[in-house]
Amino acid sequence: MKTRKTEAAVRPVTALAAKRRWRRVMRDFHVRAFGEELARINFLPEKQRKAAVAEMIDYARSKGVKLGRPALGVTP
Amino acid sequence: MIPYQELGSFFTQLVATAQQRGIACAITGDMACVHYGVAATTKDCDVLCAVEQAEAFRDLIAETALRGLLPNYRGNLSPPLDARWLRGGWTSHFTWKTKPEETCLDVFGIAPRGSSPWEQQLAGIYARPNVVAEMKRTNRDKDWPFATALGGEMLGEGDVNGWLHLYDAEVLQTRMATSKPPAELVPLRPVLGLAPFTDTRTVKRLLLAERQFWSELDELRVHLYQHHLRPYVSAVRRANAGRRDLSVAEGHTIRVACALTHLPFQPLREFGLSRMVAEAKANVGMTMGTDVIKWLPAAERHFHGL
Repeated sequence: MKTRKTEAAVRPVTALAAKRRWRRVMRDFHVRAFGEELARINFLPEKQRKAAVAEMIDYARSKGVKLGRPALGVTP
Repeated sequence: MIPYQELGSFFTQLVATAQQRGIACAITGDMACVHYGVAATTKDCDVLCAVEQAEAFRDLIAETALRGLLPNYRGNLSPPLDARWLRGGWTSHFTWKTKPEETCLDVFGIAPRGSSPWEQQLAGIYARPNVVAEMKRTNRDKDWPFATALGGEMLGEGDVNGWLHLYDAEVLQTRMATSKPPAELVPLRPVLGLAPFTDTRTVKRLLLAERQFWSELDELRVHLYQHHLRPYVSAVRRANAGRRDLSVAEGHTIRVACALTHLPFQPLREFGLSRMVAEAKANVGMTMGTDVIKWLPAAERHFHGL
């Protein structure tokens, strides 16, 4: 017989499981949309993610890649 | 080369200072995407600034040095950062002449495709994911996965408006296992009425139609602004007389004078917002079949602030 206590214990676990499931779904989407490496970076904790993106940007720039937007006067 | 972490800190500090001075201001675009878990590799920064506080933000920009360099308006193209034009959806562009490449800042007063006040959707120094995702509905293919990723992030945090930003059939289908789109969102985005999205071919076709619609709308928007920019650019070039070192204040005076002649305050409203939507829908109908038109979003609400 389910008591209020056991119902309360089940509810947060179910919500957490749903959150984890959704995270896996979105991770799959990120892999499809952005590729394995960017998907990995996207799911890093914030500080590590920003550091990884900065490293990527600086590496590209060091190789001569122009990462700025062209001057169009209107931003899409 | 200035390391990107330094550039990122520079822009976040600029916006933080603006907010400390009471200027409603927020980072959007690719920097916001990185913050919300979607990596992007642009080194420029997009910022939203309250229209009425354009002057105050311009003053702040003008006095903010990067590695000892004060900024300039970028090239001859930039409209002035002035409430009169910001209110009409014009974007202003600034640059710090760092080497080997310049550091650029774009300032919006109106969030393109915004459906609600962005000023009420702030998360610290960043615009909330809903604002950023709406701005990603552009005519560039590369922006669309960002919109879906942000929508997914919103749903993961319990914000049901994330449903409005999912443009991937598989993601829509699998989300149904967790929740279904609230009924009140369907009038805003009719495609959500296809829940549980099991008719994959129809879902994919209509998602393509939606994307094409927003792309057409954005192309039309850009075209309308660029139409007026051409004579403006020539006027600014003549007025600058070859000088590339004008301060923001000097450049601003010249640009306002040129803009008063060449840049209408409200080009989109003058063309007609409903007309823009109708044209974009008609274009989609021509390429994908008129049956898709009824599934296109209620886009008239996506000109908030104009």
